[in-house]
Amino acid sequence: MSSSRSGAGSAAAEAAAEAARLVATVARETTGWEGAAGVAAQAAALADRLDELAEADAEAFTAALAALESRSRDLPIRMQHAADVPLEIARTAADAAEAARVAAERCDGVLRADAVGAAALASGAAQAAAHLVRANLLVAPDDPRVAQAARAAEDAQYAAARALDAGS
Amino acid sequence: MGDDAELVGRCLRGEQQAWNDLVERYARYVHAIATQGYRLRPPDAEDAFQDVFLRVYDRLGSLRDPEALRPWIAQTTRRVCLDRLAAAGREEPSEVEARGLDETIDELDEAFAVREALASLPEECREVLDRFFCRDESYRTIGEALGLPSGTIASRISRCLGKLRERFEGRNEPARESGRSRT
Repeated sequence: MSSSRSGAGSAAAEAAAEAARLVATVARETTGWEGAAGVAAQAAALADRLDELAEADAEAFTAALAALESRSRDLPIRMQHAADVPLEIARTAADAAEAARVAAERCDGVLRADAVGAAALASGAAQAAAHLVRANLLVAPDDPRVAQAARAAEDAQYAAARALDAGS
Repeated sequence: MGDDAELVGRCLRGEQQAWNDLVERYARYVHAIATQGYRLRPPDAEDAFQDVFLRVYDRLGSLRDPEALRPWIAQTTRRVCLDRLAAAGREEPSEVEARGLDETIDELDEAFAVREALASLPEECREVLDRFFCRDESYRTIGEALGLPSGTIASRISRCLGKLRERFEGRNEPARESGRSRT
């Protein structure tokens, strides 16, 4: 059993992983869509990456908490390092939202609600992860990772909005 | 697999470059069987590697079906590895271990076939698949690198996966082993 303490980053990664798995299921169950297998494969790969990121974030978060509790001088460095994982979560969740957008536009009508829901879920995860990047880099607001995470969150939001359009 | 038949023909005609191509094509495959399948130690794996390609060089003319180059090299590698284990005083794999070994070699065969199919794709497909599945790059990063809108990347990857599947299924017809009694 892992001794890592999960935080919002892990939760965001897990939520986005579930969203990606939903996309994979929607794509696999859709008939008559030539690119369905390809989208299913991409969504499955994204889900695997997000599962790994959930674990990595828990480890990074645990290390940062330990530095905080011990009032270690390493804390700013630990916090900056801890921003790398949520940045990857934001990017990967944005891709999950994009895959969900493609699925929402092409899937069987009966499955569309699942694809739209997946896009919304992945977008929310990307917003949460981008916020964590900002929070971890409070001492370095000009760090380019803040802008990169914000762009990923915007991409995810755009994809989710288009998916919602497809579902309405 | 037409490429292997052509390669064998070039080797048998004495083209030096063809031998280089053969070694390049199968080097990782042979090494993977020795290290992942038979778990040879690095120096033994290196010796096995040399032995395999020496035998291939000496006996390629005995290969009855040039299309069956890959299974023939696999069988040659297995025999060389067993010889290495015996020479090192290590026991041959038990029946249970042998089943695991077969599975490992099946996986290596599949990986090899995917790699060959991937190599036969157009450059733009190879690149986009490599960036997404091997380098874990995001759609945005891929789009920026290739000068494409990121909203088109998922569909492009799907199209390329479709092509890969066609090539893979075309190449992955079971090949018969040939010439095994002569190794």
